[in-house]
Amino acid sequence: MSREPVDELIERQRKEPEAVYKERAEIFEDAVNLKTPARTPVALFTCGHFFSKWFKPSVIYFDYGKIKDASLKLIESFPVDFSVMAPAAEGFIFSVAFADAPEIAPTIRFLTGPMHDIVKDKYTRWPGRELPEHLPFQFIGGEYVEPEEYRQLIEGPIDFVNSVVLPRACENLSKPGSALYVKSIARFAFEGSKFTSSLVDINAALAKNYGLPPFPATFAYAPLDFIGDFLRHPTGVMLDIRRHPDLVKQAAEALVEPIVKVGLALKPLGAKYAFIPLHLNEMLPPKLYNEFYWPALKEVILELYKSDIKSFVFFEGDHMPHVDTILELPKGWGIAYFERPKDFIKVYEKLRGHSCVMGGIPVSLLHSGTPKKIDEYVKKLLKATAPNEGLILAPGVAEITPETPDANLKALINAALKYIGENR
Amino acid sequence: MSVSEEFIKSILELDERKALEIARRRLEAGEDPLKILGDLTIAADKIGEKYEKGEFFIADLVMAGEIMKGISELVRPKLKELGKVREVVGKLVIGTVQGDIHDIGKNIAVTMAEAAGFEVIDLGVDVPPEKFVEAIKQYNPNIVGMSCLITVGLESMKKTVDAIKEAGLRDRVKIIIGGGRVDEYAKEYAGADAWTNSAAEGVRIMLKWIREKAR
Ligand code: B12
Repeated sequence: MSREPVDELIERQRKEPEAVYKERAEIFEDAVNLKTPARTPVALFTCGHFFSKWFKPSVIYFDYGKIKDASLKLIESFPVDFSVMAPAAEGFIFSVAFADAPEIAPTIRFLTGPMHDIVKDKYTRWPGRELPEHLPFQFIGGEYVEPEEYRQLIEGPIDFVNSVVLPRACENLSKPGSALYVKSIARFAFEGSKFTSSLVDINAALAKNYGLPPFPATFAYAPLDFIGDFLRHPTGVMLDIRRHPDLVKQAAEALVEPIVKVGLALKPLGAKYAFIPLHLNEMLPPKLYNEFYWPALKEVILELYKSDIKSFVFFEGDHMPHVDTILELPKGWGIAYFERPKDFIKVYEKLRGHSCVMGGIPVSLLHSGTPKKIDEYVKKLLKATAPNEGLILAPGVAEITPETPDANLKALINAALKYIGENR
Repeated sequence: MSVSEEFIKSILELDERKALEIARRRLEAGEDPLKILGDLTIAADKIGEKYEKGEFFIADLVMAGEIMKGISELVRPKLKELGKVREVVGKLVIGTVQGDIHDIGKNIAVTMAEAAGFEVIDLGVDVPPEKFVEAIKQYNPNIVGMSCLITVGLESMKKTVDAIKEAGLRDRVKIIIGGGRVDEYAKEYAGADAWTNSAAEGVRIMLKWIREKAR
């Protein structure tokens, strides 16, 4: 068989990482700036499930050293252009708890296995703990706050999170001021800083060994998701919107400030993009989305934008019904990453020239398709979206499984290398 | 518009206060509670239809479910008080399988089955196989329903059916599986009798089973 472009890139990133680094940084920058890059970047995100290709879930989520090994293996075998690998669960509430401590807030944004062991939160379940050893972690959320307590949240969200929510949601934080509480919270912050250092170390190794530029990320959240994920459970918010509409609106509004604080915490260290994963979006009908969800999220995005932080929003599920609202943002506001809109090409066309659009690769295709099918799919997609300005190819965050055939993932990268310019 | 129509309309408009108010008014006026439950069946059907057509979103389903639950809770004591029993068409034991905590769809299936006249025993979420087995022994249902939205749940469904077999109860119950992660393959793998991605269709299948058995 002849050597394919992806094989060349695998070799080249090892032999001349600096040149590849420059190339990747450029195509990414071009895409974000809505230009046509020399080739279409391919991105791969994982919350760690994919790493169980090499390590047991009960190991990979608890051993930062193994995370480094797995990350290097991943890029070595699958030379994508842009990647965020955080084998950790949603933990944004801890960042908000520390919103007034910018040196800590961003380091505890994700919950790792050891961090879960320290606070014993009920938001998540882990392999070898609440789950069998072979399963990836699960975020299950829960209901920790009553509708009557919205007022308290509105009056002081950070205090509310610290004094009411976390004591209920974390076994080891149940008695603020107790020895167990103090020990746990201090160890938690320490562990977060350890995890963050390990990520910095991993990024440096990826850049040095394989020419992968690190992603200068900071973190924010949609205020209504904050309420759904950490306080009231998604179904609780859905009912609150109709039963206590004013309280929900005020609560979302009150959360904008602390969320923006967290988002700006990493700015002095060079962060450029705030990662914002959405959850409730596809579950809300447009009328409720436009009235309760979008305004506060938009405010977060615009506030950060004013401070030169672009947003990198993950639109979970099918965001088709709400896609027009994105056009309310200033042109070049950031990256819109779509998980599985009903029609990706239509979404791209709508946002073309306004937003950098990321996504387009169904996880099921990678999982069950063949290299040939994937090649044809990507070719068709790139043709339909030619000249591909402001486009980044990616499967949804919702987990490439470890069973995904290597040849399929390579075929995706290969196709993006092949179908450029005239070849599209 | 008749009271009945207005009642159904208020449910479809997700106007909780109005729907509950009309239900209360109808009960106070001495109307047959069974008639109110009949209207609930019609509303539940229409809600399922709207979701399938993309007119309703998940948040709408959740609200509709709450409203219907609230109405059933109003009507039930009245039925008892009148010494009336609604004719129970069949008994359903239902739960979301072990490892899975998604319950929005399951709750809708519960509401719609109740509206259609089933007595429903809801075991909740993350239900281990033993709990299904115990419930079958205790309640002697015609049908067992399992809800599953995540891939991990496939194994749990299989384990549950196996446990039911081991307990020698498989012949006593029909088994239906529902939820986003079920299909023909899942049905075969788990050893269930039917599968569905729609509560309305599920209820139709269950009613068919009951009719077949009556014959
Ligand atoms: C809401 C939601 C959540 C909520 C759950 C809230 C709740 N209380 O249910 C939260 C945020 C907690 C959550 C958590 C997780 N989720 Co989730 N979630 C969803 C979401 C967005 C919607 C599911 C839903 O409610 N659908 C609407 C209902 C009405 O549909 P339905 O269940 O199919 O029900 C209908 C019919 O099937 C039928 N029916 C259902 N059950 C039954 C039973 C019987 C007997 C009958 C007759 C009929 C019937 O009736 C309904 C009406 O017609 C889906 C994505 C999606 N859009 O589907 C992901 C999704 C199901 N989740 C997913 C995942 C992975 C998770 C997590 C593991 C995430 C993580 N990594 O931590 C966790 C863990 C959960 C766990 N252990 O179970 C994946 C599953 C992927 C897979 N194949 O395994 C999905 C598909 C998202 C995705 N694309 O990745 N989730």
